[in-house]
Amino acid sequence: MTAAPTTSDADQKLADEIYQLMVAQGALFALDAPIRQSLTNLAEFLAPRYKRDQAAMAEAIDAALSNDSRFTREVVGDEVRFVTSRRGAYVARDEVDTHSFKQRLHEPENPLPIDDISVVVSTSRPAITTVEPVYISDYWQIQAGLIPSQEEEPLHEEAPAAPEPVAEPVAEPAAAPVELTPEPVVEPVAAAPEPEPVVAAEVVPPAEAEAAPIAPEPEPAAVEPVAPEPVVPEPAPAVVEPTPAKPAPARPFERSTIFTLPDGTPIDLRRGVPALLEEYGEQLAALLAEKIEQDPLRRIVSFGRKYFPEAAVASLGKNDLRKIRDYIIERNEPLLDTELIADLYYHNPNKSDYEGFRFSLNYRLHREKDFEFVGVEGAYLWSTKGLPAVGGKRVKAAEMGQLTSFLVEGYDDSLEIQSAESVRQSGSVTRLLSFFEWEYGVLPLDATLAALLPGPVLPEQRSAALRFESPQHYSSHLVEVRYPTGNRGGWLQGLEEFFHEHLVPGAMITITRTGEPNVFQISYEEAGETSDRILTLDEKKNKLGFTNLTYYCVADADQVPSQSKYPRLNRLKSFPMGERRKAEMILEHVAQTMGEQIGTRSEPRYAITMDDLLMGFNVLRPGSKALLTHLLEHGEAFSPDETTPGLFIYAPPPSDEEEEPEEEDEELLEEVQPARRRRGGRYDEDE
Amino acid sequence: MDAKLITFGETAMDRLVQWLRSNGEPKTIEELLQQYLEILSRSVMEEAE
Repeated sequence: MTAAPTTSDADQKLADEIYQLMVAQGALFALDAPIRQSLTNLAEFLAPRYKRDQAAMAEAIDAALSNDSRFTREVVGDEVRFVTSRRGAYVARDEVDTHSFKQRLHEPENPLPIDDISVVVSTSRPAITTVEPVYISDYWQIQAGLIPSQEEEPLHEEAPAAPEPVAEPVAEPAAAPVELTPEPVVEPVAAAPEPEPVVAAEVVPPAEAEAAPIAPEPEPAAVEPVAPEPVVPEPAPAVVEPTPAKPAPARPFERSTIFTLPDGTPIDLRRGVPALLEEYGEQLAALLAEKIEQDPLRRIVSFGRKYFPEAAVASLGKNDLRKIRDYIIERNEPLLDTELIADLYYHNPNKSDYEGFRFSLNYRLHREKDFEFVGVEGAYLWSTKGLPAVGGKRVKAAEMGQLTSFLVEGYDDSLEIQSAESVRQSGSVTRLLSFFEWEYGVLPLDATLAALLPGPVLPEQRSAALRFESPQHYSSHLVEVRYPTGNRGGWLQGLEEFFHEHLVPGAMITITRTGEPNVFQISYEEAGETSDRILTLDEKKNKLGFTNLTYYCVADADQVPSQSKYPRLNRLKSFPMGERRKAEMILEHVAQTMGEQIGTRSEPRYAITMDDLLMGFNVLRPGSKALLTHLLEHGEAFSPDETTPGLFIYAPPPSDEEEEPEEEDEELLEEVQPARRRRGGRYDEDE
Repeated sequence: MDAKLITFGETAMDRLVQWLRSNGEPKTIEELLQQYLEILSRSVMEEAE
């Protein structure tokens, strides 16, 4: 309604009534649509109701409506009509369209250029969206009854019994004042201020009066005089303690500060964060990490030990990834994330967003299949496709994993010499070099080395790149640590060049930690010049043989595979790597080749000591004494010699095959002439 | 907030994300946990008081 009527009361009432009538008539009209009615019709309708004749009624209506601003008088031919609308006075709709958007859209001032169709139409196919499962929180599942609630029991236990007595004495006297007397005896603590039966009986009526409207007369008498009088004087001297103030805050406080973990552990937030962290820190951290991982919205993402909001992670485009990959390949070795940022993005480490960008780079690269994380905690290194394999390809990773599987099968006895704790404290490991390790430049990742070297940062990380520096030669070597996976052992590779340049099998090496988490020192004890005929492998002929070597390091004479001490070592067959994983077969071959024949030609038996077995075994593949002991105990063809401790007898099962011709033995006995080694600066050719 | 309604790792996680974002630096799980417990304690204690 837009305007108020200005006529007399009678006219105004009449105009109101007609307005209501016409609005009812046009109830379904638009708010501003005209509602028309003729004066004749109105007079004809209202005359009987006002008990007037039609002409007088028409006159009155005409007068009333003509003066009312809600109505517009129209004369069409002989007929008088009144027009109004549901909004009040009818105003004709303005049809002029002042909006110019339509025009501007079709006829812009600066029209766009006519593009080539290839620019407008993309030929690339959009990614197919996958429907991901929606994670429903435990709370809603409990509410829907899908899973049982786990919170009920501890909460009931924790719920204090104190608040209840407060409610009882108030409610019960109201219902039955007669029973008030025994009640205070039952709840002595909380009802302390109101235990006096006389007082309670007198105090109660106000509450009772409100609840029961039966007796209006005693109400004022009971409420007004009694309430102030007994409450003030009597409880005050009787009970001095301000007990009513205590239960009030305690009641909601205790009930609402305890929540339970999925395993039922109650966590009381009143204890304070430090106390909770001390007692439940690890459990809560693991649970929180799990929940963050399960979050369907992936609001927080992680890389290594760090967490960051997904929305704040900077994105890397294809150009960025290509640039990073090209740079790593150009440098020809895995690179630190900080190097990539400094050299490619020129980010200043002092900037506030540096750590966020660093996280983003690591997180994004981790999700790209062309990049592989090969870092350790404190040094995040990235490798990419196209980089040369560390340590060459002489031993395949799958084969090496099988050769070192004895380490994860429980035959790792490296801790007998040096405990893991002492390794961690001293930060160094000293060990002998076996022939296999020396030849291929690998070191099995046994327990002592695992205690020294950093572990994987990511759960699925399979390798890490370390740098081994030699302070004695000012050289540096890139070493790859392959972590154990499943039933395959771990190892280090990439030291072949260093071993062949400066050491011999049987030498003692020391690996020491440095200040950098990915840098280690490798050293050995130097000694005077020593020349000996030592076992080597001719790769071209794939045969073992003795070669004159000169070396300048301290070596355990018993562990050096020299011709003088182990003349039969060169008879060992250089099996393909795939076959060397069969530890029993290798052990039998070693026993048969290096053992002393004590049987007959038809029933041969070979006697060999444990030390010789270990030496020969470690020529062909890595193995520990514990592994050999296990194989000897469980090998049917092996038996310990009862007279000589440490000596074992190998009796090969009879076979239908004829003995190998004698010529072959003779051939083996001939000295193999190995070709000159790759970097064999110190190898002398046989004369 | 009533502590009975807390589901650890879900309740008030948006506030933890907000804090982490405003901080601007990646944090360890221990730092996140400490902050998360403080957020929960604050919500519960304010309500209780």
